[in-house]
Order: sequence, then C-alpha cells, then structure tokens
Amino acid sequence: MTFATPLGLLALLAIPAIVAIHLFRRRFPVRPIAGLFLWQDPRQTPVEGRRVARLPITSSLILECLAALALALILAGARVWTAGVNQHLVVLLDDSASMSAANAEGESARDRAAQRALAEVERLGARARITLVLSGERPAVLAGPAAFVVEARSALDGWTPAAAHHSLALGIRLARELAGQQGKLMVMSDTTPAARGEAEIAGALWASVGQPLPNVGIIAAERTISPDEGRGTVSLTLGNYSRSPVRRRVAVTAAGKEVLAREIELPPGTSSLTLPLPPGLPLIHVGLSDDALARDNSVVLAEPRPRIVGIENRLQEGRGREALGRAIDALSGVTRAESGHLAFVEGRDLDRPSAPGVWPVGFGRAPETWSARGESRNFAGPFLLEKRHPLLLGVTLGGVVWTGAVPLAAGAVHPLVSAGDQALLAVSALSPARSEPAVLFNLDLDRTNLIRSPDWPILVSNIVEMRRESLPGPDRWNYRVGEWIRVRLGRDPKGPLRFRCGGVERTLPAGRQLEFIAPSPGGPLQILEGDEVLFEIGVNFLDEVETDLRNLATADVGEQADRAGLRAEGGPASDPLFWFLLAIGVTAIVANWWLLGPGRAHG
Amino acid sequence: MPTSSIDWRAVRAAAAFRLALPRTPVGGRIGERLGSGTGSSLEFQDYRSYALGDDLRHVDWAAYARSELLAVRLYREEVAPRIDLVLDVSRSMAVTERKLRAFGEVAGLLACACASTVADSRVITTSAAPPRRLHRPEDIEPVLDCAASLSAFEETHLPFRRRSLRVAISDFLFPHDADRLVSRLARDGASLSIVQLTLADEAEPVVEAGRRLVDVEGRGELDLVIDDAAIRDYRARFNRLRHGLANAARRTGARFAHVLADTPIRDVARQLAAAGVLEAA
Repeated sequence: MTFATPLGLLALLAIPAIVAIHLFRRRFPVRPIAGLFLWQDPRQTPVEGRRVARLPITSSLILECLAALALALILAGARVWTAGVNQHLVVLLDDSASMSAANAEGESARDRAAQRALAEVERLGARARITLVLSGERPAVLAGPAAFVVEARSALDGWTPAAAHHSLALGIRLARELAGQQGKLMVMSDTTPAARGEAEIAGALWASVGQPLPNVGIIAAERTISPDEGRGTVSLTLGNYSRSPVRRRVAVTAAGKEVLAREIELPPGTSSLTLPLPPGLPLIHVGLSDDALARDNSVVLAEPRPRIVGIENRLQEGRGREALGRAIDALSGVTRAESGHLAFVEGRDLDRPSAPGVWPVGFGRAPETWSARGESRNFAGPFLLEKRHPLLLGVTLGGVVWTGAVPLAAGAVHPLVSAGDQALLAVSALSPARSEPAVLFNLDLDRTNLIRSPDWPILVSNIVEMRRESLPGPDRWNYRVGEWIRVRLGRDPKGPLRFRCGGVERTLPAGRQLEFIAPSPGGPLQILEGDEVLFEIGVNFLDEVETDLRNLATADVGEQADRAGLRAEGGPASDPLFWFLLAIGVTAIVANWWLLGPGRAHG
Repeated sequence: MPTSSIDWRAVRAAAAFRLALPRTPVGGRIGERLGSGTGSSLEFQDYRSYALGDDLRHVDWAAYARSELLAVRLYREEVAPRIDLVLDVSRSMAVTERKLRAFGEVAGLLACACASTVADSRVITTSAAPPRRLHRPEDIEPVLDCAASLSAFEETHLPFRRRSLRVAISDFLFPHDADRLVSRLARDGASLSIVQLTLADEAEPVVEAGRRLVDVEGRGELDLVIDDAAIRDYRARFNRLRHGLANAARRTGARFAHVLADTPIRDVARQLAAAGVLEAA
C-alpha cells in the first residue's frame, strides 16, 4: 500500500481521540430507571474522585474507530496499485511563425512536431502524461500540466504557430519548472540550438523538425501620405530568401476591392518596392502570392493622419520675428493659424490668459509677476542644460551669447537652461489657473546670436514636436506585432475603452494616454470608446528572421535524462481501495448513528 | 408522567378475595369482626365478678345457683377492622407504562379486597396529606398519579392507626434498611402485608450495550455498559434487597409477596392469596 499524501495519516489521531472520548465521556443512550443505586458499585465513586474505568469495547467504539481509520486512509491517499508511476513528458513547442511553413507536400514543421510529441509520449507508455508549453515572450501552457494524451492531441490540433522571432529561454525555464525532478524535457523547434543562438539544454532532447525552404515575404512596410501633393505611397521591403530570382504578384486591396496589382521579379536578397496610392483610402491590404510561409505574405496598413501643429507668430517686427519665421518655414507638419497650438509672443504677455489648447512661447522680458529686482545681464556660458528635457534634445548652445536676461523670481518657473543662478530658458509650472505650459526665452532676441546658431532651428523644432506629441492620436499608425502602441486621447474617456484586433479583444485602463502591446497575430486594430471607433491602426507580422526559412534543419540534439516519473495521482475512481475505504467509512458511520439513535435497543 | 387507567372489569373479575385477617383480634369500631376487647357479640369470652352497674342480663344465674357468687358473663366485642393501604406513588412506579398499569391493577385489586373485607379503609400516600378514605374501590384511582419524587415509605412518619391492617405496595427500589422499614410499618399494627411490584426488567435485567441510566426520582445518573458482569452485580443487589424485605417481614410476622408487572391480574390475586395477603371472600 502506498500513500499519495502521507500527511493525511495524521488523521489517525482521531482514533485515540475517540478512545479518550469513550473513556471519559461516553455518550450512551438515555434509559430512565428506578433504583439507580442497585446499578451503582460503591467502588465506582470513591471519595477522592472518579477513576478511569476499563475501556468498554462497544459496538459504537469499534464502528467509530473503523470510520476514523477508513477516512484517515482516504485522506492519506492510500493506494493498492504499486505500479502508480506515470512517465511525464514536458514538450516545449517553438511557437514561432516559421514552424507553420509548409513544403511542397503541404507538410509543416508544426505537423511534424505534433506527430513527434505524440509519438514520444506514447512511447513512454499508455499511462504517460504530457505537458505542452508554447514558447514566446510570454510562454504559456497549451495542455496540462500532466495532461492525458487525448487532451494533448486535441490541443495540438488547434495549435497554429504564429509568433514573431523570440528566444526560447523563457519557455525552457517554464518547461523546466513544470518538469521538475520527475518529468522528461523535450524541445520541438525547426532549427538547431546553434542556428537559433540558444545553448544546448542539459538533460533535454532538442528535436529540430524543420526543413529548409525558399520563401518570399514582406519584411517591412510603410504607408505615407503627402497632403500637400495629394497622394500617398506604400513602401515595401521584400525579402527573397532563395537562390534564384522569383516572380510574385503584389496586390493592394481596400474595402474588398483591388486598388492596385503588379507583377514583380525579385532577385535573391531584399528589394524595395514603392507603390503610389490615392489619398483617402481606408485600411489597405497588401498581399503577395502564396509560398511556403503565408504569415509574411500580407500586411494591413492604415493611412497615417499627420498631426498638424498650428503656429501663430505674434512677435514684434525685427530680427527675432524673421528668424523665427524662417525656422518655422523649414518645418513640416505645421501651419500658420490664429489660436492654433503654439503662439510665439512677447515675454511680458505670458501671464495673460491664452486660448484653450494654445501653448504660449515668450521671448524677451518676463512678466512682472515672474520677475525679480535687478538689471538685465548677458551670458556667454557656461550654460547648464537639462538635457533630458525634450525641448533641449540636440541643443548644445556652443558659442551662444545669451543677451538681456533679467532676474526671475524664485519658484515662478522651472529652469531648463541657466547660467549660474540666472534662469535663461524656463517653463512655467502648471497650476489651476494655467492648464497649458508656457515657455519663456529670457533673452533679447534682437541682440543675441542664438538665432544664427545651429541650435536655433533645433530649439524651434523641439518646441513644435513637443506640442505635436501632446496632440490627440496614436504616435504611429502602423506597428509590428509585439511593439508598444501609445495613443494619446487628450481628454478623459467618456466610456469604457477597449481594443479589438482580429479575434483578440481586451479592455484598456481608463486614462488620457493608452499604452498596450500590439497583439498577435495582428491585422486591423480598432480602439473603441464604448461602441465608437476612435482610431483604426494596422498591426503586422513583419519579421525578417522568421521569413528566412533557409536555416531550418532536422536533427536531434542532446538526450533526455531518465526521470522518476509522476506518481499515479489519479482521481478517486482510479483505485479500488478508495471505494472500499469509502464504503467502510460510510457504513460504519451509518451503523453507529443507527445504533446510538434514540430508542434503539442495541448500541 | 403517564396516568393510571385501571381495567376495572379485569380487576373485579379477579377480586373474589378479601384481605386476610390475622388470627389475633384486631382493633376497630363496632362491626362484624371480633375485636380484641369485650363487647356485645354472642361469642363468650370470660367471667368476672359482678360490679355495681353491670347489666343484669349478663349475670350468669346458673353459676350463682351453684356458687352463690354473682358473676357476669363477658362476650367478645365485634369490630369493623381498620385497613391502612399504603401506596408508593413516586415516579419510580411509573417508570414505564407497563409498570404504571400494573401498579394500578394491583392497587385496584387490593382496594376491591378492602371493600370485600367490610372495613374502615384508608389510603395513605404521604405523611404530608391526610389519608384518603376508601369508600369504594374506584376511590383509589385519583391517587395513582405517581408524580411524587419520594416514596411514602421513605418518610419517617406515616399516619397509621393503631391495630390497623396495613398493606404496603411499592417497588421498594430506594435505598433502605429492610428491618427498620418493616418494623416501622408494622409498629402498633394488627398485621402488615408487603407487596413488592417490579418490572421483569428490574428483577431480571438482560445484557445491553452502554446506557446512560437516569433515575426517574432524580437520584442521579450513571453511564454504564450493561454487560454480564454488571447484570450479575445488579441481580445480586436486587435479590439482596428482596430477600431482606422478605426476611424482615418474616421476622415481624408480616406477609410478603413479589409481583412482576406483566403478570395477569388473576394470577396476581392467586399469588397474593398464596402469600397470605388475600383470602377467599
């Protein structure tokens, strides 16, 4: 007899407890009588107190001890089957998309891996168990732990490898934990550990079931639009991972209609292809004709909607205004507008209320409320720059003479550039009275050489890009699977937020900025607020490593270590002793209840 | 507490008996039984010298003629015997329905016997209440409630009448000294009959498993496994109690009978007659 949970034997302590109860407090059926003194032995109640009487071996005692014994053995998982050890095989399945690449016969590495895994577990015996682990950035258990073969077969039928290239290290770690000291470990991939850049796993078998195949796929895609020119383009990077040129048909469809098709010949290696598109098209699908790997033959691209920054230049006429105008003219994605997103104003006007959504950028003397007593000064350096601030990215201020800087009140602004104690470039602190930040260039723009330095257009560009970044909308409109998608709402959400991409639908935490990982397998992704679609962006596979199928191989590396196997921890029905003990326990309890019941003649 | 329901038809069918009177004269008012003193019956008792005021009709003139002495004939007095029927109406007599029913039937049988005796019969159940006169057998029924926590025989004083015929019915299942008890019951009495009524289970218990024995008169409780040893000890104690009562009765000239509850009342009557408690009417 073996015990699955030997700690359950502690329940046997119930037996001495029952005996003690019978010794000291017997719960006998009550019987009213006359003449109790005739039953009493004077020796039973000595003057000095009660003595422990000899334990009466009653039916009740026997039944209760029998029930306790049976239940304790059940709790301890008593088993009579000695052959209660099941071999346990843990298989890490490479979930990368290349596993789906099919040869001319239509057979893929995925098919071979499934057959091999099932064959391995069947080889370990009819009672062997299997655990299937999918590799990936977040490894997952496909079947198990310690599932039956029939469960594993069902899970394998629904397995479709589609992940981008990734390391198997995390999956191996999970598989090792699941295998423990009892399970055998096996890795099913389409490449060898060396080709994949992974180290061999001690005590585990790495079975490569891949087959080198020629393949052509889209490894990069971009959709751009030029509003000024009124046209859009699709730029594709195509990889021909074969030894000879191939011909492919590229088709662009939008809303179910083919917009463009072109026959192309691709030499071995990577090629670029640019296709013109009319502007205003919704999501487009770009597809290549079929080959070994279907996953990399199509992309879905959303039309980018550039965030135009409206700029107003309210500076007084002079050198400064002209320099600012020239810098703005050199920028793309901006427009001149009144009450736009940015307003370049005189510094003294910064404390005036601005229109909602307008960031004021002031040049010259600060407002009186921000100023301190003192004369204006010029500075030729050194300057202390807060380089991590986006406004100062790429700015050095080398050789710049900063003129006309007036002392500023302490705490009125947050300095970004300073010389000694003097703040030269600063942003105002946000307050209930001011919801938009203000930037102060504490300098005389007409006298400084900043406007002739290389830092000037960079500073202006940084200001514009800072404002552009804060405008509502996604950072980009097309992503790869696994990339972080960041979308700025610019307001509090009016309803529950979620995204929908193919068969994946998840809720998003409420906030002004949304961040989540582009889900696999990709496709059109909609961000919804309630039932309203806020944004529609494209998520695509685009993985050059997975597209290249030339290094796939078939080989077995390493050897499985002998393991003890799992103890046969089947359900209650798996061992007849369980039912036998259960029957004894229940019968004893019922019989004891019947015997001790009121009015019973025998107990 | 169950109440008595006497099957009077069965009791009367068995009541062709009366209480057995002692050979010695008994005390009582004028009646049909010979008394212990002189009286006006026809039975001659003795002579004595004539005294002034004696009834001249009782002068034995023949004796005067022979001896010239005036002698007066004395005749035995005739009395109605006094019967004190003492009933144990404690809860032990109603420990089961069977015992209560048997108690009622035996009490009814003795009440019928009292009625057949043509006596001044009273029922005593406690010293705290005056005895209840028994005009007819059915008068006994109201006292058989068996709700007392103490047997009348455990009381130190019972309102017996002198020279009365005393009949005691109880199971006597309470701690007692048989000699003292019987002496107390028989003191100044003309006769004493003791009827011990028990269940068959009380006389001859059988082996059972563990039981919590609870005394119905509140004398405590006891967890006990009723096995052979316990039965053996119990029987020894019970027999000692019964024999103690019988021996004490024999020593005081009293009559003793042990009746089992499930015995038919006709057989009980015969059993009491055999023990000398009853006699054919």
